[in-house]
Amino acid sequence: MHDILRRAEPLTSPVPASPRGFGRLTLDVRQNLPPWKQAVFVGSSLILGLAISVAILALAGIPPLTLASELAGVLTAENLRGVLIQAAPLILVGLGASVAFRIGFWNLGIEGQMIFGGIFAAAISIYDIGPPATRLILMGMAAALGGALWVLLVVFLKLRFRVNEIIATLLLNYVAMYFLFHLLYGAWQDAKTAFPQSTPFRPFERLTDIGYGVNSGLLIAIAGVLAAGWLIHLSRIGFYTRFISANPRMAKVVGVPVQTATIWIIAISGACSGLAGFVNVASQEGRLTQSYANGYVFSGVLIAFLSRNDPIVVAIVAFLIAVLFITGQTLQVFYQIPFTMVQMIEAIIVMAVASSEFLIRHRIRWIR
Amino acid sequence: MNSALQLAGIRKSFDGALALDGASFESRSGEVHALLGENGAGKSSLMNVAAGLYAPDAGSISINGAPISLSGPASARSHGIGMVHQHFKLVRPFTVAENVLLANPQPHFASGLRDIRDAIKKQVDALKFSIDPDRRIDSMTVAEQQQAEIVKVLVGGARILILDEPTAVLTDAEAVGLLEIVQRLARSGTAVVLVTHKLQDVKRYADVVTIMRGGRTVATLDPRQSTAEELTELTVGQTSALPERTPHQGGETRLNVGALTYTRADGRTMLNNTSFFVRAGEIYGIAGVSGNGQAELAEALIGAIEPSLGEIWVDGAGDIGHAGQARRREAAIAAIPADRYAYALAGSLPIQDNLAVAQIRSGRYGSVFRLDRAAMRRDAIAAVKDYDVQGVRSVKQKASLLSGGNAQKLVIAREFSLEPEVVVAHSPSRGLDARACAAVHQRLIAARERGAAIVLISEDLDEILSLSDRIGVMTRGAIVAEFERPADRQAIGRAMVDHA
Amino acid sequence: MIDFLVNWLANTPVTAAPYALAALGLIIAERSGVLNLTAEGLMLVGALAGAGTCLALGGYPALALVAAMVAASAVSLLFAVLVVVLRINQVIAGLSVVFFCQGFTGLVGTLAKWQNKQLTGLPPLKIWPLSEIPGIGRILFQQDPIVYLTILIFFAVNFLLFRTMLGLRIRSVGENPGAADAAGVSVTLHRIFAIVAGSSLIGLAGGYISVVSVKLWVTGMTGGRGWIAVALVVFARWAPWPALAGALLFGCIEALIPQIAAAGIRVPQYLMLMTPYLATIAVMIWVGTKDSGITQEPGALGQPHVREERR
Repeated sequence: MHDILRRAEPLTSPVPASPRGFGRLTLDVRQNLPPWKQAVFVGSSLILGLAISVAILALAGIPPLTLASELAGVLTAENLRGVLIQAAPLILVGLGASVAFRIGFWNLGIEGQMIFGGIFAAAISIYDIGPPATRLILMGMAAALGGALWVLLVVFLKLRFRVNEIIATLLLNYVAMYFLFHLLYGAWQDAKTAFPQSTPFRPFERLTDIGYGVNSGLLIAIAGVLAAGWLIHLSRIGFYTRFISANPRMAKVVGVPVQTATIWIIAISGACSGLAGFVNVASQEGRLTQSYANGYVFSGVLIAFLSRNDPIVVAIVAFLIAVLFITGQTLQVFYQIPFTMVQMIEAIIVMAVASSEFLIRHRIRWIR
Repeated sequence: MNSALQLAGIRKSFDGALALDGASFESRSGEVHALLGENGAGKSSLMNVAAGLYAPDAGSISINGAPISLSGPASARSHGIGMVHQHFKLVRPFTVAENVLLANPQPHFASGLRDIRDAIKKQVDALKFSIDPDRRIDSMTVAEQQQAEIVKVLVGGARILILDEPTAVLTDAEAVGLLEIVQRLARSGTAVVLVTHKLQDVKRYADVVTIMRGGRTVATLDPRQSTAEELTELTVGQTSALPERTPHQGGETRLNVGALTYTRADGRTMLNNTSFFVRAGEIYGIAGVSGNGQAELAEALIGAIEPSLGEIWVDGAGDIGHAGQARRREAAIAAIPADRYAYALAGSLPIQDNLAVAQIRSGRYGSVFRLDRAAMRRDAIAAVKDYDVQGVRSVKQKASLLSGGNAQKLVIAREFSLEPEVVVAHSPSRGLDARACAAVHQRLIAARERGAAIVLISEDLDEILSLSDRIGVMTRGAIVAEFERPADRQAIGRAMVDHA
Repeated sequence: MIDFLVNWLANTPVTAAPYALAALGLIIAERSGVLNLTAEGLMLVGALAGAGTCLALGGYPALALVAAMVAASAVSLLFAVLVVVLRINQVIAGLSVVFFCQGFTGLVGTLAKWQNKQLTGLPPLKIWPLSEIPGIGRILFQQDPIVYLTILIFFAVNFLLFRTMLGLRIRSVGENPGAADAAGVSVTLHRIFAIVAGSSLIGLAGGYISVVSVKLWVTGMTGGRGWIAVALVVFARWAPWPALAGALLFGCIEALIPQIAAAGIRVPQYLMLMTPYLATIAVMIWVGTKDSGITQEPGALGQPHVREERR
């Protein structure tokens, strides 16, 4: 054995770590990135996503110039009215999705909740419940209740039987859709037209213009934004939601009423979607139809995701998605581009923006 | 004797934080080379570089004097470097043989598994181990899992064996057995690197010791020619003593745990009639080998899990084992859990929120409708100052940005703000450096002086011995023996093993 | 009554095969630790690619099914990059891929005018003389070739996962990527392989629906079967045998719906159409009530792997 005291200095001169030439790609998790850099990453990936969408549309036969002129057409004063009408349900589903995502609950049952919101509202009309003066309010309340009940079913299944809410909410969308068909092809079918539609609502059962071309549905949506903003940022339950999503086990140990808060938040989420259903049947359609909830699940996910679950930003993003919706409708009518195109573009945007999170959260280095 | 593994001038940073700062290390065939240092000194990082898991930012690696480059763990293995990690790298639902096969791939699964099984049996016999190649890892004790890890590395033909804190999870007797085997391996020509923070192991079993501090290798010397004080000084830099404590007065019983039983969802009984009591002004230490129900006991006491049977009686609040959260709050139990980011902190939330959350329901921080953030901020700034939490630029910064010791101070600040009658601390100094560790111990002793009843659950026998007034030994989910202070270390060690 | 039973059971393999194929594909991917929600979308891609190939070539159903597999694998590569390389939240990535596929297949199918065009399909393969046994023969030995192929694929998947080095590596990556990594197994490559290989089976499931079973393409024609397959994997606890049993169960339920209508039993048809979804939820509840003692859920399901992570 050697008994010399060795100082731990390099015994040989350092040689390059990589005699064979190639380096190694390594990945670190990083804690913090300045906000402006985050904005640059998100912004550039958003632009990339939109560029891919434009390219696909060009392949589908819509040259970028045509697209630009159609987009300009949508933003003119008379078409803006349509955009605002469309924005109302999108804001509401965006709020619904974002409050649920705030506590890590994947509410993908937005369409089902919209359907039941519409059905509950229509029931008030069809069974002529309450005086005409308060009829609209009653319909709105019924719609919120319908959406909330439909999602609380899933909450029950999750808390009681540990049923995964992603699958349960998605499957219940199909169940809700067939229940709607059951009504529209059966008891609630309008006898006069023989189309799968209910009888039209009476004038006092419809959301109408309140001046300047603005529909009262938008007022409901704006009230929703303010209420959600208060709930998330100022109320005690909003404080709880942060702990429930950040660390539910810890939240329970430090005394956050996890279960109660979860149930309330999810009920509110469902109520928002139910209201969105009410807004669609009571303003755009004026009656219960087959398709008033189509395409809203992923729109809700997208709006919540892009707004980072912040109610005020939800309103802005929802407005932009409304522009996309209306453009999509135009392209459908004049260029025979199917409306599913909207969903495809939404998905591309989410993928692009989500990818930018990779650069925000990780540091990639090439070590030679 | 020639140089087997040589690391020179290794630098490595994580997210800008320097973990290794020009560390150098050389181990030779036939000797046990200890790598000594505190938690966070960079020992594991340096060895992870040698094992090909981390790519160094700078520096060189040589085997038998020839410089090599490592593209990953597989290439390290092909150079004969094998590492047994502190957290075993075993696939739990696989058998021993499947794990060994995974690390030593064969062209065909079925025949490969047969060959591997034979190779394992040979190694097991040679080392006098006791493991069966066809047992699943998740049905084995920690010591057996460690044997599986060592066999896995040796079957792969490792000539350089790195053991990262191998005795941390073992009883004293198991540790002695392991280290003797390791010494024998070295005598037969293997270069063994023993990463540890235990001075005793170094003095008794190492031929050479390299000491690390703050990401650097400070010295390499012969442990037999140096005193424990010298080694400690090189490792820590400075040490601090525990504060004076008054002799225990024997107050009234504050906490009584009666016949507590907990069966996990998979059917394993983790707590089996655990019974003990703690008086006011007393620290009750619970010693035992990791995995004997300590984690579940702590979880039951802080309300993370509900026990299947038995009671947790707290003076003034009654049985809280099955009570709702409101009753638990009345009991005023402070929880200092082992895994801070599992049960004590929400790392992604601001420091001030983490501090305020325990008292939010009392109305101290505003009504149901309107939060009072100014009050939160005021209290948070005061708490950060009182408890000497370092590295806080703003109380709005994320809690996860704090180092382990400061995060622990944050937890203690919150939990002690409620003037608790009962404190449950589970491995409160795990992963902390000497100074932070001393600060945590001082807080616990201060709480004892104030008259709180304290349960201290720890796998670190030194921590238990230095702090506790009474000590219970936990084995297989039950308290099997109790000792009064001053307790005999050997007797406790025997109690931990005898009942296993 | 016997006729009803024979008709029903003879149709069951055709409805069960897509569930079995999709579930097996999902099991391969999820055993590698990737939470895979893409089935509904990839089945649509497979269905469109199959139908499109048939229409473009005027037949060749076998080639169409290969095209379905290739197309779904190609799209799954996108998912693999998102979750394995870029480490995006696997739920968000899975949902995005599904909705992308729904939009994209709708767009292509409409623009190419493939909607509602009759396809030739695959003739049944009669295994003579067993096919002539009354009742049993029709149920078991007069099915199309893909039904038999599904059984072969089932054994192949079992062999791959539990009897090969590749399978050992895939499972290790799903259970404990850190350990697999330390053992020199590339987490990235094995996860990508598992996703792409599994997705070829999901694509085959979709192609089977359009080319063999329904014999035409309609936008959104999979109607939630992909989600049911995802649920089926949870029900099967990530093991192939129970997945096959579950596929047969759902096949039975789905095959029953047209039989009831054909037998002239008066049940509200839209309520009847809900049954596969309600049955899926019922099965999930059953899984939840069972004592979840021995689960084979991959230990690292849904977790991205970053080696150089330190706390």
